[in-house]
Amino acid sequence: MGYVSARGGLDAIHAAERLVRRLRLTSDSNWLEETQILDKLRLLVDRVMSEAGLWDPRLAAAAVRQSEGDVTEAVHLLRAYRSTLPRFAYCETVDADAVRVRRRIVPAFQRVPGDQLLGRSVDYTARFLERTPDDEAREEAEKLRAQGNVGESTDENLGASNDGQTPGESSDVRSPRRLMELLREMDMLVDRRVDGDPEPFDITRSPARPPAPRSALLSSMSRADTGALVNQWYRNILGPDGYLHEVTLGEVRHGLLSVDVAHPVTGESVSVADVRVTEVEAIEDLDDIEEDRTRFDVGYGLCFGHNERKAIAMANLDIACHRDAGRTQLEQSLLLTTDALDSAGFLEHLKLPHYVTFRSMIERKLAVRKASKTNDVREAEHTDDD
Amino acid sequence: MTIDELIDERSNTELLDEFAKREIRRTILSAVAIPGYQVPFGSREMPVARGWGSGGLQVTLAAVHTDDIVKVIDQGDDDGVNAVNLRRLITTSTGSQETSVADEADIVQSRHRVPEDGLDESSILVLQVPVPEPLRGVERDMRELARMHAEADYSRMWVSLYEDKVRNGVITQTTGYPCLVNGRYVVATTPIPRWDIPRLHDAPFITLFGAGREKRIYAIPPYTEVEPLTFEDVPFEVEDADGAHCALCNSSESFLVSLPNSSTWLCSDTDWCRRNRKGNA
Repeated sequence: MGYVSARGGLDAIHAAERLVRRLRLTSDSNWLEETQILDKLRLLVDRVMSEAGLWDPRLAAAAVRQSEGDVTEAVHLLRAYRSTLPRFAYCETVDADAVRVRRRIVPAFQRVPGDQLLGRSVDYTARFLERTPDDEAREEAEKLRAQGNVGESTDENLGASNDGQTPGESSDVRSPRRLMELLREMDMLVDRRVDGDPEPFDITRSPARPPAPRSALLSSMSRADTGALVNQWYRNILGPDGYLHEVTLGEVRHGLLSVDVAHPVTGESVSVADVRVTEVEAIEDLDDIEEDRTRFDVGYGLCFGHNERKAIAMANLDIACHRDAGRTQLEQSLLLTTDALDSAGFLEHLKLPHYVTFRSMIERKLAVRKASKTNDVREAEHTDDD
Repeated sequence: MTIDELIDERSNTELLDEFAKREIRRTILSAVAIPGYQVPFGSREMPVARGWGSGGLQVTLAAVHTDDIVKVIDQGDDDGVNAVNLRRLITTSTGSQETSVADEADIVQSRHRVPEDGLDESSILVLQVPVPEPLRGVERDMRELARMHAEADYSRMWVSLYEDKVRNGVITQTTGYPCLVNGRYVVATTPIPRWDIPRLHDAPFITLFGAGREKRIYAIPPYTEVEPLTFEDVPFEVEDADGAHCALCNSSESFLVSLPNSSTWLCSDTDWCRRNRKGNA
């Protein structure tokens, strides 16, 4: 009969697994240490933690290594691992003002309370591909090490660009006041603060669907695929959707935040982690007829790790979604189409066998043909009658 | 037991923590209580990707006992790669046994087929659902979709079926044919072929639909009315194989799939075909 079925069965799966594992482990280059991934590919690790919604740099590094650098695959490994663990506690509310910044930019004013802190950024570094031979680069590294204390903190301190000339204010460089506070004092902001401390929506325990609370939107975006958020932003700039304004950035911060939980026995706050976050506040120029056009509003973005692209897109989309107020399906797009595992998983499922559905489709094509022939015959008969 | 022991992945073969299983069981109970209603749940990430049976897998893991016997099929085939993969995840993580014979199975997890035979009152059929929303073809906005289901406003679905019939001479909906369950909710019958639809009606077994990516579980309890949406004068049509027979077991009573550009047909339910050849299907 010559029928070779497309079924691979267990043997094929095992063979594929062995192939992937063997080639990953036995490649000729040096063993890739977790510390190398953490140090040399820090932004990749950050992105994986952010999209996984899980702060654990070492696990993320292990996932990056196992996935051979495939971000979405690494995110999948982390999230599936997380599914096996019970949840013991929720952290206490984290006060974002407690951040110790490593970088802080305020594009909205030339001089601001607290300092502009350029920090570790390639924003103004010309994008020339370095072709330094390895031995020279190693030599340079040795020299730099010999100078001692070339760590991030020193360079960050050097990055302070304000020369201490801001009139009036004196503030800790590492814990600058928020521009928002200043804008409030200037009465330039609409006040959207709410009373109390409503429980945030937990997107890992309940599916968020529109209309959803803002906390659901923010946590969805915080965990979203970076590329998806950037695309959502840009398709509103140059694509078919025009639901957002370009904002003015009030704060772009990267820094450390302590996460505390209540001790199960003593009830006292215990710090369980220092997480690095990127935080953005985006100032929106209100101009709609029903809005307060004498003031600004602010969108908020925050994600794990150093990922300004993501946090900026998030902040701008947050305020856009607020202003949209359910008029369009922007909220649905943000809540439901930006998760890396949802979109990638569904896209790739097209590789699965589909021969039952395809068989049914062929059958309907033939049925339409048959129906149209019958129809032609009927029409012909009808014409003859005339 | 220390926390470290509790989270030690080497001693932990479970794919879901116990809280998640409890949540999914409760969701299943709600789904059974309101036949056809899509119950939201906090779908977890599984070791298989979303869209690859993660919803069905969660339902099975929450429902299976260690002494249960499990059958897993993809397109009707126990040996399809995806079926093999899901089956080994289920059996190795729960200790349950496996079978290819539907009659022996307590739980059948399936992608896109109802086994040809063997399901009875003791069976649970778990269908993997890629798209749980039957109305998405006529409405994209989820707020409006929620309203339409809440008010049983399926008028636009009827209009679309009517337009389909008028334009094409037949209703061209292929698999996943929309059905009214218990006279109340329209459901997406996953992409199972139309061939399988009549077998869901008044069935002795329970059918659980797991949609992991869209975070929905719905159910058809035993002996529930399942009516494919169609018009009084337009009979519902299952796939027509034009009198073809399976090249292996010679059956014309089972759902057949064809080989490309040939007149060779085969049963999609491979285990049923195997037994039919021996005369005990």
